[in-house]
Amino acid sequence: MRHNFKYTLKILFQNKALIFWTFAFPIILGTFFNMAFSDIEKNEKLAIIDVAVVKNEKFENDEFLKNALKILSDKKNKDQLFNIEYVNQKQAKKLLVEDKITGYLIVTNKPKIVIKSNGINETIFKYIIEEITTTKKMVNIIANNRLYKEIPTNKISNIENFYTSIYKKILSLKDESINIKDISNKNLSYTMIEFYTLIAMACLYGGIIGMTAINNNLPNMSNKGKRIAISSIPKKKLLLSTVAASYLVQLIGLILLFIYTIFILKIDYGDNIFLIILLSLVSSLAGLSLGITVSCLIKSSENTKTGIILALTMFCCFLSGMMGITMKYIIDKNIPLLNKINPASMITDGFYSLYYYDTLSRYTKNIISLLIFSIILLVIATFCLRRQKYDNI
Amino acid sequence: MENTIEVKNLTKKYKNLTAINDLSFSVKKGEILGLLGPNGSGKSTTINCLLSLLSYDQGSIKIFNEEMTPDSYEIKRKIGVVFQEVAIFEELTVKDNIDYFCGLYIKDKNTRKKYIEDAIKLVGLEKFKKFYPKQLSGGLLRRLNIACGIAHKPKLIFLDEPTVAVDPQSRNNILDGIQKLRNQGATIIYTTHYMEEVELICDRIIILDKGKIIASGTLDELKSLATIEEKVSVEVQDLEEKYLEEIKKLKYVDLVTYQNNNLQITYKKGQNNISHLIDFFNKNKIAYNKIFSERPTLNDVFLELTGRELRNE
Repeated sequence: MRHNFKYTLKILFQNKALIFWTFAFPIILGTFFNMAFSDIEKNEKLAIIDVAVVKNEKFENDEFLKNALKILSDKKNKDQLFNIEYVNQKQAKKLLVEDKITGYLIVTNKPKIVIKSNGINETIFKYIIEEITTTKKMVNIIANNRLYKEIPTNKISNIENFYTSIYKKILSLKDESINIKDISNKNLSYTMIEFYTLIAMACLYGGIIGMTAINNNLPNMSNKGKRIAISSIPKKKLLLSTVAASYLVQLIGLILLFIYTIFILKIDYGDNIFLIILLSLVSSLAGLSLGITVSCLIKSSENTKTGIILALTMFCCFLSGMMGITMKYIIDKNIPLLNKINPASMITDGFYSLYYYDTLSRYTKNIISLLIFSIILLVIATFCLRRQKYDNI
Repeated sequence: MENTIEVKNLTKKYKNLTAINDLSFSVKKGEILGLLGPNGSGKSTTINCLLSLLSYDQGSIKIFNEEMTPDSYEIKRKIGVVFQEVAIFEELTVKDNIDYFCGLYIKDKNTRKKYIEDAIKLVGLEKFKKFYPKQLSGGLLRRLNIACGIAHKPKLIFLDEPTVAVDPQSRNNILDGIQKLRNQGATIIYTTHYMEEVELICDRIIILDKGKIIASGTLDELKSLATIEEKVSVEVQDLEEKYLEEIKKLKYVDLVTYQNNNLQITYKKGQNNISHLIDFFNKNKIAYNKIFSERPTLNDVFLELTGRELRNE
């Protein structure tokens, strides 16, 4: 219904509070991020993390770990990440106490990281050692299986091909496989992660638009809704045109944010612009669904609902690393399910996977997760919106 | 005459509270029916049930001889509603607000344009077309609220307390507008707790209390339910007690009160009650000022029927 669509657009664009939260606020926040993090990023890029490794028998026997650390601390490597001192445990402890290193690695039954406090360098150190350990485990499992099967049949003619095939197998099993090469190829950009969470926030803030528009249409939520409900336009048509207009407003806000961050703040989102657009469209749908569902389920004033969506979105973004990447790591490590159902995490992870990985499986997984999230919320909302009569209004 | 609305045995309950109790009434084509009752008497609930916004527990509602349901879009096309609360968009101008709500009924742009102008003229908002609601006074907002509800020229109009908290000028404007709508052929249901308005514009009145119809009929029919016939007020300075007692003994006098130099006498019936009273004052050389006589009001009827004042609810 064009008439309702046109006026919904007009009403939404005239709503100053709404435009502030959904259009201006992400842009302002983006500007602050840029101011705050661009210098840090420059410094971080140059900074090599000082760590120590306790030289014991188990470490000496772990060729995989030794090689990995060798590559990452190679001074000829332009992406050198670590400056490693190989010491005994006593010396390592001393270095840590004297703040000369971020932490040290000691291999007992398995590699263990010892750090003094939590911070970005500590997080990177822990993250990379874990990735090396996980990758090593997978290589071992697959290699053992293959060896077990293929040695008796004499199928292994070339050991190099054998390991290449294992490596490919690992990639297919573990799409997020951050192998040593991947880590050293690209700098871990904190600014980028902040901007991904910013986009996630902007997409989810779009929920306020959906909530406001739907609120106006519901007789049990607003007086305008009562007036609209007794009009001669079928409810289905009204709601569809309202949702379509809300989605358009949301996308316009997002386009402005992208234009601003790409052309003014010079943020590089990577090369896959179409995939970025697709992820943004799906993310906005998730935000819209969230807003519509809040609008249907919670019977309170529009301001309260706006507050709920703002708080919920900020909390989701916080968990996904907006106020510090450490949080994302902590959640990933301790409550991985939370990041799997957190739309902000799905969005940031989608962008992250596009930027860092060559394969699309992790990106696709995030797109599907967001679609499932949206569908579940829309089904709940549709169930509520189907009501024609109310017990009380 | 043909009935526009027929309600039979309508009952609506909120858990243990019965908001509407077995309500039956009809509204004739072209008439203004007043639904009068104190706050909480069930007026708005009745309207919301009639409009199929609220579910109800029992009864049937027919509008334009058809069962009213939420999907009765053909019936809805002919209905206009002005709710008690102002229901307009703060983000749109006066004209855009009317255009938006009118456009939910009228697709043709040219027709709509004419209808909008008519509505603006009817409520007297010609000078405020480009104003935003926040720039309007409470009275003007109420007028805009009415324009949004009636711009599509409905045949049946529900007006739910449209004059609450408006200035006298806007009230008069609104009441004039309602009479114009009736003259144009609309059937109107008008709910209010202001009995003066009902007396002024309604052809027939239903008095509701606690979800039940306690009386219905024309104004004269309802007033005939009151046992008093006339109320006389006189301004008298320092009236002595003995005269008060004598006044109480005058023919047809039912009740006498004297407060702040204001003497009020209620007569059960009788003619020339004022002239008899003036004779009494002259005979006893009592000076008096300003003498008024009034017939029983709907408040008196409500008082008789419920033992409570309508205006104080």
